[in-house]
Amino acid sequence: MPLKKFFFSLLFVIAQFFGSAVFADELNIYFKTTPRSELLRPFVDSTDLSLLITGADGRALKQGTVTVRLDAPRSGRVFSTDYPLVEGTVLSEMQLPLRQGRANWKQLLPIRGEYRLRVEVAANGAETSKVFTFYVRESRQKWLALAALSAGLFILGFVAGRIFTGVRAGTAMTMIGFALLTSATEISHAQPDRPVGRGILEVESAIVGKPAFLRWRMAATGNHGARGTLTLTVTHLEKQKVVFGVEKIGVDGEWSSKFHFFDGGEYRVVAVGNVPGLAPVRSEHVIAVTGVEPPVRTMITVLVYFVTLIALGLGLGRWSKRLGRVES
Amino acid sequence: MERTIASRLGISVSEPVSFLIKSGIFLSVCGATLFIALAASYPAVHDTLHNVRHALAIVPCH
Repeated sequence: MPLKKFFFSLLFVIAQFFGSAVFADELNIYFKTTPRSELLRPFVDSTDLSLLITGADGRALKQGTVTVRLDAPRSGRVFSTDYPLVEGTVLSEMQLPLRQGRANWKQLLPIRGEYRLRVEVAANGAETSKVFTFYVRESRQKWLALAALSAGLFILGFVAGRIFTGVRAGTAMTMIGFALLTSATEISHAQPDRPVGRGILEVESAIVGKPAFLRWRMAATGNHGARGTLTLTVTHLEKQKVVFGVEKIGVDGEWSSKFHFFDGGEYRVVAVGNVPGLAPVRSEHVIAVTGVEPPVRTMITVLVYFVTLIALGLGLGRWSKRLGRVES
Repeated sequence: MERTIASRLGISVSEPVSFLIKSGIFLSVCGATLFIALAASYPAVHDTLHNVRHALAIVPCH
């Protein structure tokens, strides 16, 4: 083969390869949270997550599907969050149809840290993907509560250190008890699912730490290919918070998703399917999610931190007492 | 109390040793109390203090 012809062939192959990549890159993926990420706080209210897919001309795609996977933040180096079993797991994974180039859903973000959203778009025979990250900061009240408890334990140790240094021990014992706030309760029971209404919603037995499978199908029509819309909401019954939701997404008779029930307790899953020409089909499940004990390591770290604070207080209290004696 | 115990047992400990013993007992009691309050899975304790645990940002719960 002449060298010139070989180079032209090679150029053609390279152009074909990069040509498809360029087409894929022509799809623009925009991601937005409402409220914006700086204002997000864990376990407050469900957040609206929305995607907009446009072509190179800036127009929204008319058709296509988007596959999304939301990963929870990874564990911290020293301390965990209050839901350690959620850290680094998949919070939700599903396929959504694009409507005017958009896909929206609701999700309660349970912990602080950096979330990763992987988006894969399939449209016009092309596929592209992008990973978005956004950070959720811890609630200020929680940090203040932690600071107050830490200060309290340090002061407790300080006072005990002064009392233990060279004088009566009897009064020291009165310092041992300290008040703890009481609060509302939460109970997790492992109970079988209690279907209410039409049985077209299937929810896998859920346990904290492992995403469960949600499946909805239009059983009433007997036609799984019936095109319609689905509104599905998952509500944490004790907290009365919507933890996940999709609204009027286009479905072909069925839809499924993976969802991580991140807190033990009861949840209500409600699905309302609409098929043109048929009455809306509502199905509801109340499911009990089994709570799981957090890893021992995470508990030990926290206990060591608090006991160390008391020990530091003890040492400082003793030092201050002895210093006062020497001066007097 | 300290002097009473020492005279009954017929022993005497130096002040630093006495401090260490008392501090050790105190830290043990505090550690046990914190464990029960913040980490025990006993339902009555867990359910009562569940929100407190979650309110402290770094205390793990489920």
